[in-house]
Order: sequence, then C-alpha cells, then structure tokens
Amino acid sequence: MTPSLGLRGWLRLPVLALASLSWSFVSATSHSFENTAIVRTVDLGGSLVHVTTTYAIRALDNGAQQYLVTLGEKEAHSTSWFEAKLKGQNEPLTIATRPLIPHDGTYAYIVDLPKPLGVNGTVNLVVESVLTHTTYPWPEKASQKDEQSLKYEGDLLVLSPYRTATQRIKVRAPAPRIISYTTPKGLDAFTTDNVATKSSATITYGPFSNIPPSASTAFIEEHQKHIVVHYYFEHPVVEITSLKRTAEISHWGANLNIQNDIDLHNAGPALKGHFARIEHQSQSYFNRLAPHIIPSLTFHLPPGIHSAYYYDLNGNVSTSRLRLTPSIPKAAQMKQYSTLELRPRYPLLGGWNYTFTLGWDSPLADSAGYDASTGLYVVSVPVQTVIPGAVVNQAEVKIILPEGATDIGVFPPFSPLAQERSTHITYLDTIGRPSVALSFENLTDKHNGLIYVTYKVPLSAHLQKPKAVSIAFGVLFLVAFLARRVDLSLSK
Amino acid sequence: MPKAYPLPTDLSPATVANTASLVRIVAFAFISGAAIASRLFAVINFESIIHEFDPWFNYRATRVLASKGFYEFWNWFDPTAWYPLGRVVGGTIYPGLMATSGVIYNLLHSLHLPVDIRNVCVLLAPGFSALTAWATYMFTKEMKDESAGLLAAAFIGIVPGYISRSVAGSYDNEAIAIFLLMFTFFLWIKAMKQGSALYGTLAAVFYFYMVAAWGGYAFITNMIPLHALALTLMGRFTNRLYVGYSSWYAIGTLASMQVPFVGFQPVRTSEHMGALGVFGLLQIVAFVELVRSHVSSKQFQQLLFSGVIAAGILGTLAIVGLTYNGSIAPWTGRFYSLWDTGYAKKYIPIIASVSEHQPTAWPSFFMDLHFLIFLFPAGVVLCFKQLRDEHVFVIIYALVASYFAGVMVRLMLTLTPIVCVSAAVALSSVFDTYIDPTEPEVSDGDKVDASKKDKSAATPASGASVVGLLTEMVTSGPSTTKKAKPTQRGIFGLDTRAAVIVNALGMLLFFVMHCTWVTSVAYSSPSVVLASHNQDGLQLIDDFREAYYWLRQNTPKDAVVMSWWDYGYQIAGMADRPTLVDNNTWNNTHIATVGKAMSSSEEVAYPILRKHDVDYVLVIFGGMIGYSGDDINKFLWMVRIAQGVWPDEIQEPRYFTPQGDYRVDDQASPTMKNSLMYKLSYYRFPELFGGGHAQDRVRGQMIAKPGPSLDYLDEAFTSENWIVRIYQVKKDDPLGRDLKSANAFDQGKKRKRTRPPVRRRSLA
Repeated sequence: MTPSLGLRGWLRLPVLALASLSWSFVSATSHSFENTAIVRTVDLGGSLVHVTTTYAIRALDNGAQQYLVTLGEKEAHSTSWFEAKLKGQNEPLTIATRPLIPHDGTYAYIVDLPKPLGVNGTVNLVVESVLTHTTYPWPEKASQKDEQSLKYEGDLLVLSPYRTATQRIKVRAPAPRIISYTTPKGLDAFTTDNVATKSSATITYGPFSNIPPSASTAFIEEHQKHIVVHYYFEHPVVEITSLKRTAEISHWGANLNIQNDIDLHNAGPALKGHFARIEHQSQSYFNRLAPHIIPSLTFHLPPGIHSAYYYDLNGNVSTSRLRLTPSIPKAAQMKQYSTLELRPRYPLLGGWNYTFTLGWDSPLADSAGYDASTGLYVVSVPVQTVIPGAVVNQAEVKIILPEGATDIGVFPPFSPLAQERSTHITYLDTIGRPSVALSFENLTDKHNGLIYVTYKVPLSAHLQKPKAVSIAFGVLFLVAFLARRVDLSLSK
Repeated sequence: MPKAYPLPTDLSPATVANTASLVRIVAFAFISGAAIASRLFAVINFESIIHEFDPWFNYRATRVLASKGFYEFWNWFDPTAWYPLGRVVGGTIYPGLMATSGVIYNLLHSLHLPVDIRNVCVLLAPGFSALTAWATYMFTKEMKDESAGLLAAAFIGIVPGYISRSVAGSYDNEAIAIFLLMFTFFLWIKAMKQGSALYGTLAAVFYFYMVAAWGGYAFITNMIPLHALALTLMGRFTNRLYVGYSSWYAIGTLASMQVPFVGFQPVRTSEHMGALGVFGLLQIVAFVELVRSHVSSKQFQQLLFSGVIAAGILGTLAIVGLTYNGSIAPWTGRFYSLWDTGYAKKYIPIIASVSEHQPTAWPSFFMDLHFLIFLFPAGVVLCFKQLRDEHVFVIIYALVASYFAGVMVRLMLTLTPIVCVSAAVALSSVFDTYIDPTEPEVSDGDKVDASKKDKSAATPASGASVVGLLTEMVTSGPSTTKKAKPTQRGIFGLDTRAAVIVNALGMLLFFVMHCTWVTSVAYSSPSVVLASHNQDGLQLIDDFREAYYWLRQNTPKDAVVMSWWDYGYQIAGMADRPTLVDNNTWNNTHIATVGKAMSSSEEVAYPILRKHDVDYVLVIFGGMIGYSGDDINKFLWMVRIAQGVWPDEIQEPRYFTPQGDYRVDDQASPTMKNSLMYKLSYYRFPELFGGGHAQDRVRGQMIAKPGPSLDYLDEAFTSENWIVRIYQVKKDDPLGRDLKSANAFDQGKKRKRTRPPVRRRSLA
C-alpha cells in the first residue's frame, strides 16, 4: 500500500523520543551515497502542491541499501502524502522507518532500495509528495469581478545528507501568467549562471552544483533560501474543513450506506465588499464567472448506488443532478462512476462556508466478500470521495458493523491518527453495533484508498433482530389479550 | 312484516356481534389510514419540512426540549428573540405540544428507534388526526350510535377545514388541540350522563392537557358551563350533572393553574368567570334540591326558587363589581374583536394584520366543509327531535361555533368537528331509514299479524331473533322501539331505497374528491418552499432557505437581523440569528419601532438601526418572480402599526399618491420612494432589465429609473429569485464623516458647491 503520513499527527506521538535515539544508527549510513543529480518539480495548485523530486544516486560503499530522503522542517509539516519509486517502475518502495526522524533541523524518510547497490552502482529514485496549506490568496480580498491570485511559499534547495553534484528546481504554475517570483541572492557558491529563469509557466532555479551534505542546521541557516511565487489561479480553492464519513453495513438490508457530513470552505480570496446578485447573474449568463466562485461541485460516486440524498441543516437541497451508473462486476478494471453535480444553496464566494450532508445506499455485494473457510466477511470502504484539488483538513471515518459482529480487523490504506471503537445503536438494535472510527488529517486527492474491515457474524447475531421484534409483538399481543379478558371491575 | 330484501336468518347473535365489531375495527383502521395519508401530500410533493411561521418556533422549542431536557426547557430564557429584550420562553408558551413531541421522541429512542426530532414534529399532526377521528367517533356514538360515529370519524378524518391546520409539517398547537377538544367533550358527556366522578376527573385531566396545549381552551371553559347552565334552566338539573360538573371544574381549574402561562387567570379574568359562576349556581341548586327533598311545601319551593334567582343575580353583580374593582381583569381586546369585527382594525392593527383573523368569506365554508355544511342544520334539527341532555350540548356548540366561525377564519377549526358530528347524525339517519328492509303495512288485515310477528321477534329466545338483531345492527337502537308499532308510513321497494342511497353515496364520493383536491392544491404548501409550474414540470423556489442558510453560515453568530415580524420565527429557526421582532407579537412598541424604521427614510432609520445593534436588514421582495406575499404588499400594515405609536412622524396618507392610489412606479409619493422598505426592495432592480422597462411582476407597475440608491446600508445577499434580500447596516465611517457624504466621495461625486462659481467678468 501507498505509504503516506500526516506529519503533525506523528509529532504528537511519544514514539519520537525512541526515534531520535535511532538516529545515530541512521547517520552511520549517511556517507554511503552521492547524488549525481537532483531535479525537483513543484506543480503549483490551489490547496495542493504536487512535488516530484528525482534523485540520481550513486553508491559509494558496497551493499548500501538504505537511502535517506530529508525534508526541511516546514516542508515536512506540510507534506501530507509521500511516495518513493524507482524510475520507470510502478511499485512504490517500502519506507522503513516511521515516524519521521527529526534531526538537526530536518526530517528524514528512510527508503529501502529493492536490492543493495555495489560501489558506483547507480539508481534513479523518484519521490512524489503532496503539500497542503502552502499557498494563500494574495491579495487577501477580491471583489466579485476580480481575478484570483495565490502566493506559494517554500524552501528552495533540496536537502540531502549526501553530497550533491548538481540540482535543479523547477516551479511550474498552472498558467503562464506569473505575477512575480523570488530571485534568491547569495547562492554564488553553487552557481555562476542566472539563479532563476522563467520560460512560459515554468521558473527554473539552478542548476546548483557541488553542494555538500546539506541536512544540517548550519547549512540551512547559511544557504537555504526562501522563495515566494505569486501566480494567477483559475480554479476555485476548495477546502473541506471537516469531513465525517459514516459507513453503515447492514446484512439484513444487504446495504452499505455511506453518509458524509461535509464542511466546505472556499479558501480563495475573501469577498471584498458585498455579494451583488445582479453581478453574479450577469457573470453566469455570459459564462464569465470569476475563478474564485464555486457555483457547483462534481462528485464521482461509486457505480450501482441508489437513494442518494443531499440535505443541510435546513432540509433537502433540490438543486443538484445525479447520473447513475449500474453496478459493475467486482473484478472489472474499467472505471465508471455515478456523477453527482452538486450545487450548494448559494454560490460559494471567497471565504464563505457551506455545511451539508451527502449520502447514498449501495448494494453490499458490490463491496463485500465472504471467505467460507474462515467465516470472515471482508468489506471495503473508501476513505473519502475525492474532490479533485481539494484538501480535507480533518476527517473521521466511522464504520458501523452489523450487530453482534466479532473478530473485527481494520486495515486502513495508510495509518490513521487515531482509531477508536465504540457502540452505535440504531433501529431495532438490542445490544448495539460495534463501530470503528478512524481519524485522519490533511487528506488529498492521492489519499483515495480503501479501508478493509474483516469480521465474523455468528448465526445467533443474525437472528437477534427477528427475535427482538417477535418478542416485542408477542408481549404486545399478550397485553392486549389480558386487557381484553381480565375483568377488573368491582361490581358484577 | 314484509321485507324489501331478505336478510340471512341462520346466524347466531354472537357471530353478528363479532362481525359487526370486526367491521368497525377494520373501518376504523381505514379511516385512520385515510386521515394520515391525506395529510402527507406536503411530504410527498415537497419534503419532510416544518411549515409556515409559528411551527418553526414550536420546532425550535421542541429541539431544546429534546436535547436539553424538560427542566432546561421550562426555565428557557431566549436572549436572541426580541433583541435586546429577550423572551422568557418557558413562561410564555403553551408547552403541551412540545411536551407531547418530547415524550414521543424519548419513548421511541428508549425503544432504540432513533427517529429524528424533525420527523416526530412533522408527523405529529397527521398522527393526532387519527386520534381525533377516534375521539369524534366516541363523541358521536354518545349522540346517536356506532354507525353515525364511524361516519363522523370518516368526515373529520378528511374534511379540509381540519386538514388545513393539521397537514404533515404544520406543527402547531391546533394539531393536537382538536383531538383534546373532542375528547374532553366526550368525557364531559360521559360524566354528565353517568354522573361519574371518574369521567369528570378524566375530563379535567384532558382539559388540563388542552390548557397546556392551546389558547383556545377558553372554548371548553365556556362551553361546558354553558351546557350545564342550559340544562339547569331547562329544569333538567340532576345529581349526575352536579357530580360531573363539580368534579370537572374543581380539578380542571386547579390543574389548569399549574401552566405558568395561564397562572391565576382562571380566577382573575372575565373569560373564566362563567365557569366559576355556574359552579356556584350548581351548588345553590343542589342545596335547594336537598332541602326540597326534605321539606315538601309548594310555597316554600317557590320561595327557594326565587332565592336561587336572587343568589344568581347577586353572584353576577359581585363578579361585575369585582371587575370594576380591578380584582378581575376585564375582557381583553382579542375578546372584543370576536364581537365587533371592526374593533381590531381600529384599535389593534397587529391582530387585524393577520390574514387568519379576518372574517370568513362565504365560499370558504363550502371549500372547507363541502356538503357537510348543508347536512349540518339537518343534524342539529334531528338533535331537537330527541333532545336528550347530550343533544343540548350539540345544539349549543353548533350555535356558538357557527357564530365564531363567521367572525374569524381561523375559528372555522372549532366549527368543523361539530359540523362533522351533526352531518354524520343526519346522514346516518338517512341511511338508517333507507337501508332498513322493513316495509310498511299495506292493509289493515296484515297489521295485526305483523304486530304479532314483531312482538315475537322482540323476545330474544325465539329463533327469529337474529333478524331483529340484524335489523338492530343496521338501524339505530331507539328506532326499533318505535317499530314495535308498525305504521303506514315508510318506504316501498328497492328502487326508492336505491335512488336515495346511491344519491347519498354519490355525495360522499364527491366529498372525498373535493377533500383530496382541496388538500393537495390549497393546504399542502409549506410556504417555506414555493412551487412553480413551467414547461419542465414542477420547479421548486427555495429562496427562503437559501438566504436563511447563507445567514447561518456566513455571518457572525450574534449578528442581529431586523425583518418584519412575520419572518422572526423562521430566521430564529433556520438562520439561528437574533431577531428584533417575531411572530409572538407581545410587544407592540417594539414592532412599531421596526415598522417605523422600515417606513422612514434612511437618515431617520439609521439611528434606530444602530441603537438596536442591527447588523442585517432582511426584506422579502416578490417583484422579480411575482410572489405576492412580499413586504411591499404588507407595507401599509407596518405604516399603520408605526402610526399607532408615532402619529406625528408616520402618517399613512403620505404613502399614497395624491389620487389615493398605492403605487410603486414613478407616480409614487416621495415619502414612499424614500422609505427604507421601498429602497431595500427595489435597490438595483431596474438594472436587471438593462435598457428595458423594469416591471414589478406583483403590482404590474414600471419602476422608475434610476432605481433607489443606498447610503447607510449595503446589499449583502440576494437570493436566486430575489425573494429574500439582505442588507448590511454600515458601521460609522472611520473618518468620522456622515455616511452619505462618505458614500458620495467613494463614488467620485463632488460635493455640491454652496455658491455658484464666480464667472469671469465680461469686458463690457
């Protein structure tokens, strides 16, 4: 599975003390590599910034297998997803040590190479990561007609505990219209050319050559540069401040109900002045809506769903369209979706919020399996319904299992911040249903895995409901029977 | 005795009784089903949503009750209503409705049925309508028999006059009150007929429930004494009446005083004095009866009789005296408005401004009651025919309720049950007469034979008794005693019977169709969501919720919203923001303040708004899509109410054109054009039409260009169809200028020079 972490969560864990002890072991390996070239591409976006870094590695020792990828402090905090691959391969590499190891102003991932390298053996390592909350709207306020521009702030140089022969950083904006960018000074030690060049939508920093091992506070203080890129962004900046997803598995109804309570926030520039409906209507009429307005969102819901509902605190919202797709066989590779075009009650201007609930039912067979040999049911529940380009600040996924389920196992695609068990009581329950709640933070569009839950349901638990209902009705009839037949009057 | 059609003779009496009982239960199940189902149009056409205005407050209060518990609810002080005064909610409401929903909610949750509180509230009224049908059945059964009872239950189940107040989502006090009304009356009849203290106490308990649920309890408070008084005056005083009334009054009054909103009213206000007076009168009459049973002198009785009258007069005088003295509060204005329909318009415009307080138009009697209104007098006449004690009640109820229904549209609701009861009695008598297979004697010779047969049929031991029993099932009880003497009058053959019965069934069929149609067309709109029909079919106009939700999500939690009082409860319920005034119109001055702010110019209104911490002003404007219930159409009421408090500053005639028309186009009076309401409604409206004429679709008038401009407020939000417009009140200018000149400066306008520019002197 794809390894990925929200770092801030990990910092809270007491495991940290342990981890820093192991640094001495790690640093022993730190002189076994040399980076012949590092190329980093930063793809600027709205809430999310995708970073791809390619390390061309040469081994200096024999049998070197553990390679350290280091991040600056700020970068480590905003990295919500991290994956390393060998160039040209699809399988992600295992990342040996978790949590992140802090040392000397940097944080490190240890990447296990598939096989040890001999002296002068080379390999190309591609590291992809997604940063959240690294951009902000500038100017902070925009009127209804204005364009939207964002600023990206980040560190320039790629830090590495190894010597680096040459490195280059490309910052790619979504459109060629870049308002300004930083040209850092004081990098003469590494370069003689122009530090920064802009061509079309891309700003290239470097190449910088002959960089010594840089994963240290001393180097960072002396050489690390801070860059700011100010660019136009033509899509709304969507942020989900809180997502509460509840997946309720019902064996009697053969149904998997998924309900999302979503707090949506437009993180673009706040609206300057006030909202004039007449401007909005004329903009929509001429199809020239300002980029920071969210008039609607498109969700890709699973195929085969039915009874979808969309409401908010004031009741049903009738302004949306849903195109359903029938269920597809489980083994099929093709991607098909039911498309929901969801319109909030009002267009979401910069800084506005909208809270709503979106849910649907789907056949349980589409996402469940049964292993007859072990008697285990396996149900998969997607962590989230991805909105492209949106970040989910806080997420809680609660999976409610059938009443009386035992031997519960939960296998999330990436580690949650916390995992909690509780009991949920709903219609016709007598003892309540076991439920598992997983919490995450800073989910991005890369966090689209499935949570697998396994459990057993004994036959007696299946029969719990009919038993309870028949006993209730039996008692009712008995009371009616007695009330009818027993004469309580004093006089005859 | 000849029969028009044969009846089976080989059935045992037990079978007949059991079958009849089963048929009744099945019929009753269907009636309940029809009553509930016909109220669900609103849920099916729209959604499970709370309707209109007052229900939103009840819903909000119920949520407090369900989430925080009863004691918290009891002591609830709501600082967000009537800002900045606040409202002691626990002490100023009838909590019966909320308590009922709270009990149902907690009961269902304790059974592990986690129903949403909103659904409990939405479906409460339909649920109780089934209970109302049952209570009406019990009541009518006392009047005539079971078959009339079933008819009455069916009528009350689907009659539009009652549905109008009890569709799903119409979560108002009336939803449960009509059930309580009918059931209390039923228990009273039982208590009075049997002289049972148990039934009297039960009646008192349900009376207490009614007092806790609806202000209309005064109807019971006066109906029962009126009945007792009428019976006494008719010389029908019995110990049964005495026991029934005394137990009801003593327990009911003490219980009703436990409701904080009622408090000491039952002993201090004139509305309740009738019940107290009758209670006293009955004590005297009972005492006299007691004395009479021991002393038997005719003169003495007469003396006592005059003594009774003297005591009655003295008692009345004492009450009048106490009223003048101030110990008993005199009649309230709302009471006077029941007798003089012009009273409210003159003295209490707030009451008159509510459409449901207007006198009823003739067509609405037909619309709400259909053919029952024609059968209603027939039923009352049939009551005169027997005139048992309970029939006197029906007659009094019919008279009183008919009057009140004519005075106020909303009191149609109290008339409806008795119309159903009387109409059922009448119709059931028709059916009794025409379904009864007995044919009259043709010749004198047969007469003797037939009477013999009849007598033999009357003895239960004989084999032919089944026929008699069956006849008894189909027809009413008392009529069999009359049949003991067969008469020449009657109905011959099947054809005459069929003609009448088919006709009656046809009327019933039309009644059902009419009820369905009226319910689906007129009474099932939530009024929070509007529906419009276009070529794509039904389209929902959801502007209210859009704007309220915007307020809820994008303004500070403590932002004060000013709007006309109609929308106060909705804003509190859906937008969760403090309001200046709401539908609980207890403070006329506060409402008049809002009226004044709306009807004055911006300069005058601004200090009022700032003094009340108003952040947002919300107006309803229908001119864009033709929604006629908007604020411009209600504007004259605002002016009138404001005029009542500030007659020097606000004068209604100034809002009319010199010709006396109420116009919004270029002929509108300057006062009208400068009023805040006009400006907020039409701000930027003409721009919507580009170069064309800006037509207000409600009033069909052209708005002058350029439209009004605003200096002290700023448009904050306008809903999709422009129905709800929200404006933000500007804060003081940071540079200390007045907002008008600051605005002019921002727009690049130069200040007007006070002196004309100096012209270059000519060289002449």
